[in-house]
Amino acid sequence: MLPAFELSQPKTLPEALKVLAAGRGLPLAGGTVLFPDLRGGKEKGREFIDLSGIDELRYITHEAKRITVGARTTIAEILRDPAMAGAAPALHKAVDNFAGTMVRNAATVGGNLCCGSPSADTVPALLTLDAEVELTRASGSRTVPLDGYYLDYKKTVKKPDELLTSVFWAPAEPGSAHLFFKLARRKGDAVTVTGVSVMIAKTDGKCSTARIALSSVAPTVFRAHSAEEMLKGQKLTPDLIERAAQAATDQSSPIDDNRSSANYRRLTTQALVCRLLSQAWHQAS
Amino acid sequence: MSNIDTSPNALANVNLRQVGRNKPRNDAPTKVYGRAVYAGDFHMEGMLFAKVLHSDRASANIRGVDTAAAKALPGVHSVLTADDLPASNAVMTDMPGQVGGGTKNTKQPILAKDRVRFHGEPIALVAAETYELAQKALELIVVDFEDTKGVYDAFEAQEPDAPNVFGDDNIVAAYKIRKGDVDKGFAEADYVLENTFSSQYQEQAFLEPEAAVAWVDEHDILNIRSSTQVVEHFRAVADALGLPHNRVHLVAPYVGGGFGGKEVMTIEVWLALLAMDSQRPVKLVQTRENSFISHGPRHPFTFTHKTGVTKDGKITAMKITATSDAGAYAKLSPYILLYATVGATGPYRVDNLWVDSTSAATNNLPTCAYRGFGTMQANTACEAQMEELAKLIGMDSLELRRKNFIKTGDPNTTGQIIRSSVWSDQCATKALAALGDRPENTDTLVHGHGLACYQQSYGRIRWMKDTSECWVGLEVDGTVIVRCSVTDIGAGQMSALAQITGEILGVPMSEIAVYFGDGHVNPLGGTSTASRALYMTGKATEMAATKVRDNLLTCMAEHFGVLPSELDLADGEVFVLDDPDRSMSVNDMAKYCAARGIHRHALEIYRAPPSEGLDPETGQGEVFPDFTYGAHAASVAVDTDTGEVTVIKSIGAHDVGQAINLRAVEGQIEGSALMGQGFALSEELLLEQGVLKNGSFSEYILPTSMDVPDIQSIVLESRSGLGPFGSKGIGEPVFAPVAASIVNAIADAIGTRIHDLPLTPEKVLAAIHAKNASEN
Ligand SMILES: Cc1cc2nc3c(=O)[nH]c(=O)nc-3n(C[C@H](O)[C@H](O)[C@H](O)COP(=O)(O)OP(=O)(O)OC[C@H]3O[C@@H](n4cnc5c(N)ncnc54)[C@H](O)[C@@H]3O)c2cc1C
Repeated sequence: MLPAFELSQPKTLPEALKVLAAGRGLPLAGGTVLFPDLRGGKEKGREFIDLSGIDELRYITHEAKRITVGARTTIAEILRDPAMAGAAPALHKAVDNFAGTMVRNAATVGGNLCCGSPSADTVPALLTLDAEVELTRASGSRTVPLDGYYLDYKKTVKKPDELLTSVFWAPAEPGSAHLFFKLARRKGDAVTVTGVSVMIAKTDGKCSTARIALSSVAPTVFRAHSAEEMLKGQKLTPDLIERAAQAATDQSSPIDDNRSSANYRRLTTQALVCRLLSQAWHQAS
Repeated sequence: MSNIDTSPNALANVNLRQVGRNKPRNDAPTKVYGRAVYAGDFHMEGMLFAKVLHSDRASANIRGVDTAAAKALPGVHSVLTADDLPASNAVMTDMPGQVGGGTKNTKQPILAKDRVRFHGEPIALVAAETYELAQKALELIVVDFEDTKGVYDAFEAQEPDAPNVFGDDNIVAAYKIRKGDVDKGFAEADYVLENTFSSQYQEQAFLEPEAAVAWVDEHDILNIRSSTQVVEHFRAVADALGLPHNRVHLVAPYVGGGFGGKEVMTIEVWLALLAMDSQRPVKLVQTRENSFISHGPRHPFTFTHKTGVTKDGKITAMKITATSDAGAYAKLSPYILLYATVGATGPYRVDNLWVDSTSAATNNLPTCAYRGFGTMQANTACEAQMEELAKLIGMDSLELRRKNFIKTGDPNTTGQIIRSSVWSDQCATKALAALGDRPENTDTLVHGHGLACYQQSYGRIRWMKDTSECWVGLEVDGTVIVRCSVTDIGAGQMSALAQITGEILGVPMSEIAVYFGDGHVNPLGGTSTASRALYMTGKATEMAATKVRDNLLTCMAEHFGVLPSELDLADGEVFVLDDPDRSMSVNDMAKYCAARGIHRHALEIYRAPPSEGLDPETGQGEVFPDFTYGAHAASVAVDTDTGEVTVIKSIGAHDVGQAINLRAVEGQIEGSALMGQGFALSEELLLEQGVLKNGSFSEYILPTSMDVPDIQSIVLESRSGLGPFGSKGIGEPVFAPVAASIVNAIADAIGTRIHDLPLTPEKVLAAIHAKNASEN
């Protein structure tokens, strides 16, 4: 049963920040995490700030050096953006594999980033884009790299009086390869069992940049930095890929739950990192 | 997509104008426009809202229940525990409906008194001004539990030192079949193969959870408007409350899915007690979480198969054991076990047969009816064994099946002679052909094709003496009324009666009103269970409509000066067959007949063929009215890195006897394709020491609309069934082979078999790794 709660409905960002500064409640975006948690007793808050009236948080801009997505933009809007498949192929794949039509129409990217879930699907893709988030409070804004934003299970560096206002990144380098794979128990409305995102850029036949991000296999989504280091400046051979995948897997700390065992998550992390790295290596030019 | 195939030797001169056509169902507009009123949509002045305190543990003594604080809460009108109930505190959980005999009289406490036996067992009921208040009151009830040792495994439950769940021992039911000479059969075999197969709990997951409103009216009649498959539950409610049967009026509005989960009583008695106690209307719509523990899911089964076969594919003997987990109360477990026993050999003739089956009580969720009703589980095991046999002797598996299919005139497992057509071969051949070519495998994707056939009964166990009644009448304005208490659980039960009546009386469906789902105002049609609704209520409707037609044509024959057999009714007219210009509108005919006092109404009863039970030593006798046969074929792709399975094509080919509404038949085939896919791949209730761990749609993995493969329906019509126009029951049958075909396709793809369902990616990956390891 959904308990009673109070809702403020600001029309502008400053209004919302004022309510937030007063410590009166949690932001409510699409509600696709908040409402299930509220109904299931996991969310104890009873005061919410509805962001749906704040149009200034709902946009996608493509600039030469920067793509910016407002926090209140829905997953469906990102999916429908005609330039997204080119600008951020892994993110495009992630939103294409996200939930089902109904949830995509409500769920926002801001909510996905803020809920702190280890299975949030946009996060690994955004991590391999080296994205940054803008956090805003009544007194001003700061930007924080997404890599470093997550502290622990459902814990982030964002303070309670801050709103996540946007996420931005540099467009994919020409010739770089961006892949995303969501392994789940079904195709629609599924919580990711193992999520992998990979970015590879090549210069002179060698790997110039490698980014690997993993979801659902640790308390937070994370970048597999040690694996990335192994690849930098190298030609990717099957053997090297295998070892890098092993390093990424070693950095994971999956758990058993009702969807799968920790062991299965480790096995598939290894296999999927291998698969995505070799595909990306062949794709990159 | 679908195509129809009718037997070359089908009934001659059958000129069907409405039956078999793709008619839009007459319940479609109201559902599409959102006007249909379901049980939970119903509202009454002064209505209270109920909540149920379900046990959160599986095996415990109750030392006391303190409801004082809950009762003291303002706005709470009724708080009931076992101490407030009639002394018997028992509700019938046996075969409901129009049964004249042969049941086992199984019962269950309405509310737990001294002891809880399963997670979810109801302990207290509350009715309050709002759901919120009722919930608050629930939280104020203090139950003093003392955990006791439970048993959570059907095999352990049979050990001598196992804790006793209920009754004298934990054996809920046991059957055997002894037929021919299995020792001789195995001696004649060139190969003998033994395997064990097991399957899991499956949740009905109907869209509409249990919902009802109960109230006592101005005539002191207890009314219940409930989402149920069975309006005859009014009897069980009355018996539980000590009321005469005629004082309990149960109405089923449109039901949002049942699949067996609303066959045994769900929430009706609770609401009846609260309405009587508070003297106010009381409503309850179960939450999804509570729905998971409020009805019985599918029985987990374990089968061992030992099969003897000659090198040219003739099965010489089968020795099978079947064990099911009945959970903490019997409910319908004995019957489901019987279905599994009779269905143990699938659609095959086995003359040397030995079957032992047992259903054991545990402190797990009580299991109950679910589409397929034991036969489906048995069939899934049998069809896996058939594939393994084919592999063992190096024969194409369809060829092996062909050599063993039961045929019309053959005796089945219990010695009952099969009388209707058996088109297993035609169905299997068409389904396999529709799969087409297998795509090329890649480094990480392997493809497989799978087939499964089946034999599934329709109609209830014959010693229950099932009946169904229907009333058909022609109004003086030429419109038609059909009255039958059949519950419409979403499969088009009500619409089918209109189509049958329209065919016989020659009026369009738009001119026919069907009154359904009300057992006191309408003649009792019996349950929408056991794939019997169309068979039984359709038959009663066909009989009643035919009686009216006979009366009308006798009168009109005199008018036209011809014999009744020279007249026909179609498109709203009565006409002379050889001279169609000589005609009269049905409207005028109705007035003409009314003016002459012709009886324009008829109430008919259809009686299923009775029998008198099985020989307990040999298991021989007649159990079911008839059987449906067919096949399902599936193609899958398996990701060898992850074990993920994608079903690509899913093809059902079934001899439905006669489609009444082709679209409704396709709807059953398509729905079953997904339900079977869920059973094969992902659906499973996870219990830990009896406690349900994944009672939510986030963790109980149903296939979604995005998981739908390319489904095709191939409908064959032998017109040999016992239902109206030669139709057979199809609700359960079309589901029976689906999971087995997917399981077989996976075995084909990965070259090894997994013996316990569901085939999760994790199990598939482990099987692939084990196979690779054994080959290296
Ligand atoms: C059926 C179903 C399927 C799902 N499938 C997927 C899936 O495939 N992949 C996936 O990743 N997730 C999935 N989810 C989870 C959920 O939809 C996503 O995480 C979604 O992006 C959350 O966004 P929202 O706008 O609904 O967040 P909300 O529920 O509104 O908020 C979530 C949290 O973030 C906070 N918050 C929201 N916006 C801001 C902001 N701008 N600044 C600060 N804090 C903020 C809220 O206070 C709250 O704590 C699914 C959920 C459901 C119900």
